[in-house]
Amino acid sequence: MKKMMKFSKSHYDYLRKYRTKKILITITQISILVLFLTLWEVLTKYEIISSFFFSSPSKIVDTIIEMFRSGELIYHSRITLSETLIGFAIATGIGFLVAFILWYSDFLRKVLEPYLVVLNSLPKIALGPIIIIWFGAGSKAIIFMCILIVIIVTIMNILNSFTSCDKQLIALAKSLGANKFQIFFKLILPNSLKDIVATLKINVGLSWIGAIMGEYLVSKAGLGYLLIYGGQVFNLNLVMTATVILCILASVMYFAVALFEKLMNKFYE
Amino acid sequence: MNDTLVKITDLNLIYQSIKSETKALEDINFEIKNQEFISIVGPSGCGKTTILSLISGLMKPTSGEIKILDKSPNPKDDICGYMFQRDNLLPWRTIEKNIYFGLEIKGQNKKERKGYALSLCEKYGLKDFLKKHPSELSGGMRQRVALIRTLALKPELLLLDEPFSALDYQTRLELCDHVFEIIKSEKKTAILVTHDIYEAISMSDRIIVLSARPGKIKAVHETGFKKEMTPFERRKTDKAKKLFDIIWQEIQNEKNDEIQ
Repeated sequence: MKKMMKFSKSHYDYLRKYRTKKILITITQISILVLFLTLWEVLTKYEIISSFFFSSPSKIVDTIIEMFRSGELIYHSRITLSETLIGFAIATGIGFLVAFILWYSDFLRKVLEPYLVVLNSLPKIALGPIIIIWFGAGSKAIIFMCILIVIIVTIMNILNSFTSCDKQLIALAKSLGANKFQIFFKLILPNSLKDIVATLKINVGLSWIGAIMGEYLVSKAGLGYLLIYGGQVFNLNLVMTATVILCILASVMYFAVALFEKLMNKFYE
Repeated sequence: MNDTLVKITDLNLIYQSIKSETKALEDINFEIKNQEFISIVGPSGCGKTTILSLISGLMKPTSGEIKILDKSPNPKDDICGYMFQRDNLLPWRTIEKNIYFGLEIKGQNKKERKGYALSLCEKYGLKDFLKKHPSELSGGMRQRVALIRTLALKPELLLLDEPFSALDYQTRLELCDHVFEIIKSEKKTAILVTHDIYEAISMSDRIIVLSARPGKIKAVHETGFKKEMTPFERRKTDKAKKLFDIIWQEIQNEKNDEIQ
């Protein structure tokens, strides 16, 4: 309390204004969502827009409950989630390792640069038929598609961060007689930590894209399968439900990474 | 203790690049005695910094020889301590951890060496800042931390590469006195590379003036000040002014020669 007494009146005014603005933003955010859902529900209830083509929030909730009871919800979510997580982990891990090797060897980096650029600009979905032939029409193919989409971006982002470390800091380490591993662990890695977390965030989104895209191509189960199947039989309730579940899962994964970031920043302080 | 610490004989350096080769240094010969403070001045691009890189062992000469205590320079040895224009403190480390950086690289982060580093901090007024991050310190303070980081490794020879040039004038004069005092009381030998002629005069026992590229030794001046005078006091003497005029003219002539 003593500490608070130190501030002037204008500082309190400033704080109040700041808080008011923050609350206003949150209220507006929630209102938009509520308004959108209400409008959607009302318009479809009175058939101003077709509930067949647009489904409706209440129908989506019904479908979710129904699918949860039958176990389908968990079944399909689990398949897609595990494909995404496996793809995410493998691609991030190998991507990091490759980035390290390319940072370590100037020669390899220069040799592989054009290949990386081509692989990066290639739309990975074009490799779909090849992947199916190689890996069969199952989870393996989906995970591979996911890895393919995530790994190139991971390599390029992390390598870029590794090589952008301040040259003067490296000169200092060298003047102290540091070897390359010391330079990596004492300078490059701590310097790149923020970029690595940013890459993780990007990878969350990309690995979902990879998994869903893979399921579009080959799957017999999973949320991507539900989307495709629902679209084919014109079951818009199913399509919307799968979309909502996807949104929820992807946000949870994103917030997990964001939490990881916060913990790491604290660790750094 | 007037033995020779560094001996440089017939030093030549040629830079190679794809488009051309550049002769950077030519026939450099000088010696540095133990606990001597020497400065190297000269026009821009005359290879001042290159000499420091060669002495530290970061670069190899094209021909000629450098001996520090009769050994060829190697950055893995603890003989040289390099201090840069920028403090190069790691922003994610506290001041304390920054001071240990060199010790960690050398694998000497034992309690005893850390204790020595901390005693330096205490002695030179950095004790209250140990838990802070570099961004919370002023430029002058940060450069002091950089000096302590260098001294923590107990180097015989300090290589100072324009360590004050990124600072404002006021801080620069203060830090000059401070660094001078630290180097004297820790009984170190130092080579200072600088653009600032007064800085060279006020801090050193001897000044080497280099010619324009390729850098050759054009003149050597003994300053001959009393040991106990601070750089700030030295700056104000008539001797310093006279010496300044001479060196200024020497460097100016070099520039004119270059234009013609």
